[in-house]
Amino acid sequence: MDSDRPIMPKGQIVYGEVVYYLTVVSCLVCIVGPLIALIDPEDNVMNPYFTFAAIFQGHSAQEVWTIVGGGFPGGHFWMDNFFTGDGFTQFGLALGCTSAGFALIVAAVVYAFEKIYLYTGFCLFVSAFIFLAASGLVQF
Amino acid sequence: MRRVLKSPWPETFIMILVTVLTYTAMTTISFVVEPPEGGMATGTVVGWLFAFFILSLVIALLAVLGGIGGGVMFTPVMLAFTPVDSLIIRGTGLIVAMFSGLISTGPFMRSGLANMRISVFLCCGFAIGAFTGANGAILVAQHMGAAGEGFVRLILGVILFTLALYFIFGGKKIEWPQVDKADNFTEKLQLRQPFYEPSLNKVVDYGLKRSRWAFLCIVGVGLLSGFFGLGAGWAIVPAQNLVMGVPLKVAAANSGVLLGMGDCIAVWPYIMTGAIIPIFAAPWLVGQVLGGLLGAIVLIRVKAGFVRYLLIGFMIFSCWGLVTRGLAGLGYIKPVPHWMTGIVFAIIFSWVLYNVIKMLKAKD
Repeated sequence: MDSDRPIMPKGQIVYGEVVYYLTVVSCLVCIVGPLIALIDPEDNVMNPYFTFAAIFQGHSAQEVWTIVGGGFPGGHFWMDNFFTGDGFTQFGLALGCTSAGFALIVAAVVYAFEKIYLYTGFCLFVSAFIFLAASGLVQF
Repeated sequence: MRRVLKSPWPETFIMILVTVLTYTAMTTISFVVEPPEGGMATGTVVGWLFAFFILSLVIALLAVLGGIGGGVMFTPVMLAFTPVDSLIIRGTGLIVAMFSGLISTGPFMRSGLANMRISVFLCCGFAIGAFTGANGAILVAQHMGAAGEGFVRLILGVILFTLALYFIFGGKKIEWPQVDKADNFTEKLQLRQPFYEPSLNKVVDYGLKRSRWAFLCIVGVGLLSGFFGLGAGWAIVPAQNLVMGVPLKVAAANSGVLLGMGDCIAVWPYIMTGAIIPIFAAPWLVGQVLGGLLGAIVLIRVKAGFVRYLLIGFMIFSCWGLVTRGLAGLGYIKPVPHWMTGIVFAIIFSWVLYNVIKMLKAKD
């Protein structure tokens, strides 16, 4: 132990900052999204006036989507419905849920520049796993 | 004044401002807009959104005060006492767990308390477990119907009871584990990273060992987290602390980073099957992020051990709800009458009150 404060590795700082600010943006989107949904309830994949009732009646997720939205349009329905309330909210969720993936790519680049290839590999592995899960290509 | 211009103050102010404006606008809409025929009243919809946000905020603040993760509160309570489908709750539970982890990642990484190398190495294992667990949850929900719902509640009730006992009796933790000799594999990974510890006013360098065993433990923890939609800090911290010899504070910080990173994988099978309904999940997400930030700013220095008893009380009460609903769902017992649940609630919270009073008296 000594009294000189150690400098944190760049990869670590960069990862923390990217995740943090992407989370903040994702949160802001999720604050505003439900308001947009209420302003124009018809212009949503699922009308919010019927969604909560269906959820609290104990219907399964698939049933809720079928009853209120006419069927589940897929996890990335925000791409075709970006300017609708629930599409915009789903975008916020998707952004937050992939924030670590984007941050890990940036961290991997930093580790690669520092020639710490083992951690470049680990970062890319986890990042690839996140995007693979987000693509929906691998499901049991 | 300069302090207020530094992170996390500006983003916290912006988020609070946007939240206040949004909920004010929603309240205004509820007085003006007529609901569609057969739909919920606008005020009721706004009420639900606001209630979820406030509940999530309270859970996040209590989690900071009590040192117990928010995810471990949300999922059991919702599963035990609401009619909402278990897959929807577990998916949203992962959102609750991961966003409290994601928002704490920045400060932990900046301060150096968290160790990126340990986090990303263990996350490789967590990723495999969590993805398998989440897909397993969906398979069970799709093929086992009501029996699957009962099974999930029952097993979660048993896990939660074990967890409550672990929290009551503290479990074995070592603040500064002594590592005399590291194994070759751990050495090769170069996981060590000295950090400045303000309470000691020193830079602490720590040794590590048995990283491959910790990796295997984390695969199991990921499986549990993905399947039940729980935050798993309660298991990640001891796995690092007792198996690898990571100092307790570092292990706790790594756990937040790891949950944020790893649950980014576990959550996607839920999103891709529609188990995360955006308008239902959004207020819970916002509450966790704002609660986590406010908790870190305002409450981090407040020592409120008694809140821990309150949270443990809720956990035990949730066990009761989970086990009885699980057994009823499987057809082994009839639904439990409300008066009996009331008696159990009174007994558990008398115990909580007794312990809180005892604790406060001991402080005096």
